[in-house]
This record gives sequence, structure tokens and C-alpha cells, in this order.
Amino acid sequence: MTEIEKERIHEEEHLVFEGMDISGHWNRMFEQRVVWEHDVSALDRVTEIPGAESLAYCYQCGKCTPACPVDHVGDYSPRKIYRRTQLGADLVSSPDLWLCTTCGNCLRVCPKEVNLLKIMPAVREQAVAAGNVPPELQKAFENTFQYGNPMGEPARKRADWVADAGAPVTVLSRDPRPVDVLFFVECYWAYHPRGRDAARAFARTMEILGIDWGILGSEEKCSCDSQRAAGERGLFEMVAEQNIATLKRYQFTRLVTPDPHAYNSFRNQYPKLGGVYDVTHYTQFLAPLMAKLPWVRELPYRVTFHDPCYLGRHNGEYDAPREMIRQIPGLEFVEMFRCKENGYCCGGGGGGMWLDSFSGNHTKERLSERRVREAVETGAEMLVVCCPYEVSRFEDAVKSTGNEGKLLVRDVIELVDEALH
Amino acid sequence: MSDESVLVIGGGPAGLEAARGAADLGSEVILVEQRARLGGTPDSAGYSAFALDHRPAQEVLEIARQAVLTHPLVRVHLETEVSSFAGELGSFRATLKAADGTLTEVSCGAVIIATGFDHFDPGRETQSYGYYEFEDVITLVDAERMLQAKNFVRPSTGEPPKQVCFIQCVGSRDRRIGNEYCSKVCCGVATKEASEIRELVPDCRVFIFYIDMRMYGFWEDRIYWKAQEQDHVNFVRGIVTEITRRGDRLVIKGEDTTMNRPMEIPMDVVVLSVGMVPSEGTKAVGKMLGVAQDKHGFIVPSESALDTVATSVPGIYVAGAAAGPKDLDDCVSMAGSAAMKAVAALRRRSPVSV
Repeated sequence: MTEIEKERIHEEEHLVFEGMDISGHWNRMFEQRVVWEHDVSALDRVTEIPGAESLAYCYQCGKCTPACPVDHVGDYSPRKIYRRTQLGADLVSSPDLWLCTTCGNCLRVCPKEVNLLKIMPAVREQAVAAGNVPPELQKAFENTFQYGNPMGEPARKRADWVADAGAPVTVLSRDPRPVDVLFFVECYWAYHPRGRDAARAFARTMEILGIDWGILGSEEKCSCDSQRAAGERGLFEMVAEQNIATLKRYQFTRLVTPDPHAYNSFRNQYPKLGGVYDVTHYTQFLAPLMAKLPWVRELPYRVTFHDPCYLGRHNGEYDAPREMIRQIPGLEFVEMFRCKENGYCCGGGGGGMWLDSFSGNHTKERLSERRVREAVETGAEMLVVCCPYEVSRFEDAVKSTGNEGKLLVRDVIELVDEALH
Repeated sequence: MSDESVLVIGGGPAGLEAARGAADLGSEVILVEQRARLGGTPDSAGYSAFALDHRPAQEVLEIARQAVLTHPLVRVHLETEVSSFAGELGSFRATLKAADGTLTEVSCGAVIIATGFDHFDPGRETQSYGYYEFEDVITLVDAERMLQAKNFVRPSTGEPPKQVCFIQCVGSRDRRIGNEYCSKVCCGVATKEASEIRELVPDCRVFIFYIDMRMYGFWEDRIYWKAQEQDHVNFVRGIVTEITRRGDRLVIKGEDTTMNRPMEIPMDVVVLSVGMVPSEGTKAVGKMLGVAQDKHGFIVPSESALDTVATSVPGIYVAGAAAGPKDLDDCVSMAGSAAMKAVAALRRRSPVSV
């Protein structure tokens, strides 16, 4: 599966070890002596990198392997990365470096706290510095640098979805005024056609709730959390500082975002750069308001729900989206066997969103494809999500696994909107 | 005025041996036990004594119990706790509080703490082992109870199991839980139980999933090799990550790390090899007596190789699992040393009559 640099195997007539010939008949078990030679400093080179120290803690218990989503479709886990590195494989130039989605399930079960969430960004940073990055990821980095979003869309189109939202949306860059809620739309809701569907449904719901809210519009840039996890700390810091400077110019009481990655970065990364906000994920913001909504129809769907890694494991929120689903009239809810703390990863995190071809060359199938099959297994006709990466990932996976017509993918806000109209 | 009596707190294996030892050396002993019966956790949990002969702990501890109860120099206070404590080597004072609330003031020259351990609560583990969710997920202690009764069954059905596994290091060697130490006895106990299951239920396959097997001294050949060679217990290097229920069976999921291969195996019974934590008594008594404790609450003994029982306070000694995980042999050895050191400290202080 993953090509690692195997140990070089020699067969020697005479074995000379540290200047000593130890090939005496007393030491000869076979005619040809087999010697395994590997570079024992490879592990040191990784664990010397600030942030990557904990790779050295691994005691090879193997608990991470069944928890790792990538091992289900390949040959991969922190234990294996440790062992390969210990045997001399150079992690910085290995495909292993890019397959981790930083989903955090290994850390959840690791008794030694080997922390891939820190190891991966730190080691990837070295690869980025050396210019050793898969081209499709490099393109996403360059787009983010140039346009403020990984897709390379023009900034001026960032608020285009507002035009046919069917509800008024205050765009603060055009119409600056204090608002209660500043809604940080993020790239996939701003640009992706299916993301825009969700953004419009959100706008209509906010209108019904009578919330005073606005968006930054063309001034908003990617929160860059995934670029950070993918190793571009410099890019993250640069764009984060731009966002912090932009946010400083507007008055708002709280920040709400649909993207768990953005939520994670506003909650855990921006404060380190001086950007401190009262931030909630849109499901956390809406769940307590659901009882106020004037439902007009029941939705007769059997649904299941996929936990975003960066909302659940990274930030401990499992209830808010489930509470929303519970309150939407008519839905029948069924859990997948991997859910909540043990939820399976869609494959989009940690840069995975921009590594689909690369990962495809090193795994049997996409994580999103495996997850779609798990959703179909429950008998649900609809997979509900609350992360902007997921609608497009899962809709592609529904097609590629031949489940078209069997499973629909909907953002939870689209269901709220449907039940309100 | 110097007092030559010794207060022993805790009447488990270490406390019993410390009391007997100090009394045999001629000191008066006050033995305080919070339970209604002497013998400690191995007695109440119904272990087998983990020595060569594997006799039931209750049988072995009965001998120790009788030695103490019939000793003219030992006064036993059952269902009693120490409620206050003051003084120094040669002149300590303690208040004993009985279950009915009666307070008794006692004085003593030295103290031996033998307040023992509790079993790790598997509800605290961070994995998906579901001890409180699945009836057929049990602990070493639950298994021991069935094995002592010579009736090892699936708790959910009462039927003999076809496939059983042990998961090692539950609550030990784990930074996330905060118990970084090895509990020392679980490898041996699990392997002994695995052999016993094979003897009781010969057509049952038994697995032990481990990180390292830590089998000291005679445990290696008499327990580990026997389990492998004679009883055909399957030892697999790799720890189970999660247990799920499929139909009426449990499925364990882990990695066979030697083969680089994932495993998913149906099981009828899963035994969690839970480790040791300091007992509530150890945590409270250590604090009240002002002796140094580690972050878990175990009482820290002297770091000298020649003195394994001194605490940070002169005149106060520790024996047994109150000082960290230990098997029965080590608890008893430590108790003998504590008795000797306590009595010697008091005798050394007495005026020498010529």
C-alpha cells in the first residue's frame, strides 16, 4: 500500500561490525549471514522537531490502529508510522506524512498521548519548507495565499450567494453597522454550489428567527485551520492576522460559523494571535432557538448523522446537531455504529480536502466512500451533516459507491429550511 | 515518657503480618480495621493467594487472622477508623472512631500504615470497553469470583463460554487516565485465570491481549509457560481498542501488532485486567498523618534500597499496597520489615538500664 523505504537486506560472507570481524565459526549460524541495516536516527530527526516529540512515546500497544480511519482503507496508523520511522523510513518524504486527516481518534484511545494533532502539522511544516508537498495541496495553499480561499475563487464573488437567498442579508463591507451576530460564512458555503444552498437556507432561517446578523462579504478570508493542520503555519498566521484586523473594524457581540474547522481555529488558535471571540458553531447557536420556529410541515425521512471530527472530538460538541435533528418535525433518527467520540472521519480534515487524488493512490477507497456505505447500512435514506466539507464529499461518494437514489446528503440547515416552508 | 506500642492501621495481609510481627517482637499492638472482618481486599474479593500453591486467599489469611486474634499483645478494633492524629516518634496520639460513633483515645510510639488498594474502576477507562453497558464484559475480580466457585459462565446466559479474552493494562500504564504506573499483578493474575478457564471449560478458546507480559520469577515458567504450553492460551501482542455488540455476542477490535494485521474477533466473555489504585483509606490516612504521597495518593516509601518502609515522617512506616501495587508475597515481606523497623526505632530510644 504505502511505499516505505524498506530496510536494506545484505547477505555477507564476513560480518564486520564497528571495525570488528565477528564472522568466526562460533558465530556462524548459516553459510550466508543476513544483516538488516537501518538508519536508527530517522526517529530522532522527527522527534527533534518542536511539536513532534510525542511520537517517541509510542510503546506499540496498537490501540490506535483500529481507531484510525485510514487503516480501514489502507495500511496506516500512528503505531505503524512510529515503527516505520524507527526502522529508518524518512517521514518527511514519505506518503505517510499526508494521509493523516488529523481526525483525533487515535489520541482519544492512546494511553501514552502520542499526539498526531501536533506531530502532523509540525512535521509537515518541514516538508513545506523543503518544497516537498503534493501538488494539489500546494495549489490549495497558493490559492489561499492569492485569493483568500483554497479554491482560487475571486474574493469579490464571496458574497454572491446573498443575491438569491430569499431573505435580506447584511453585508458589512457594503453596509457597515453594529450587529448582534457576525456570521463567518467560510469558503465552502460561500463558493461551492451545495454550500451556497445551505447558506441561503441559513439566511432564511435567521430571518424567521428575527436575528440581527451580518456577514463580512468580500473582506472575509479562509480561517485557514486546515491549511495549518496541513503544515502551512506561515500561511495560517498571515491570513489569520488579516481576518483579525478585519474583524476589529466591525462591531458584533458574537461570532457564528457553519464550519467546524473555522470554529476550531477561532476557539483554539486565533486567541494565541490576539483574536479572542465569543464563537459558536451554527448548530450550537440554533439548537436552543429551535423551539421558537414556526414549523409548517413534517419531514417523513429516516435520517442518520455524521459527526464532524472538528466539532466532536476536537471540541466536544455532539449534542447540538442531534438536538436540531430531534426538533425537526417528522424525522426518524438512527445512529451509525461509529458515532460521537468514535465517529468515522469523512477524509476532509487536516488538508485531506485537497489531497483526494494523492490519498486515492495510497488507499483502497476514500474515507467518505466508506462512511457512505456505513450510512446506507443503517437503512437511512438521508445522511445529515453539519460541516461544509461534507455535503460535496459525501454526494461524490454516494455516486462513486453506486448508491445514487438510495441516499441523499443534506446539511441540517437545509432540513430546517424545508420544514419551515 | 516513651511509648513502645505500635498502631497498625489496616487489617489486610500487610496489616495482619505487621501486627503479628511487632507483637512477636514484644510490642503491644493496636490494630485498627474499618471492615467488620480482618483479611483485607484479597479476603473480601475472594482471590487465590498468588503464591506457588494458589491456595484461596481466604484460607491463607485465616491463618494470619488467627495468629493476630489469639496474640496476647494485639488489641483489635474492627469497624473502626482513625479520626485524628498528632504527636511524634515515641509519643503519637490517635483518636479511634468506631462504627457506633464511640471515640477512643490511644497513644503509641510508632505507626504502620497498611491501608491497601482498590481495584481500578473500569468506568474510568477512556476506551469503549463498556463495562457498565455489557453484561459479558467483566473484570479480573469478577472472573476470580466465578473461578473460586468453579463455575465460569457467560453472565448474560449462564452458559459456559466458547471464546474468552483478557485485555491487559486497563487503568495502568496510561497517561490519559493518569495512572502511568504498572500494577504489577494483572499479567500474572490474568494468565492464572486463563489457565483455570481452560481447565474448567476445556473447549473454550482463551486469548490474552497484551502490550508486554510482565512475569517475574516463578510466574514465568509456573504460570506463563504453563498457560502457553499446557493450556494453549493464545497470547496476542496488541491491545483491544473497542468492544461492540453484534447480535447477542461481543466483538473485540484491535491490532495484532506482530503481524501488522487488524483483528475483529467475536467473544462470549471479555475480562478487563484492571489494575490497582490507592484505596480511599490510603488517601485519607496518608493525608491525616502528613506523610508524603505521590500524585495518585499512594504513600511514598523511603527511596533507600536498605529501607523500603520508612515514610517522610519519623516513626511512621508503610507496608503493602498502600505504598503502590504489589502482590501478596511482597506485601507480607514489606510488613515484616515495617514491624522490625518500627519496634527497633522505639527500642533504640528507650533508656538503657545497666
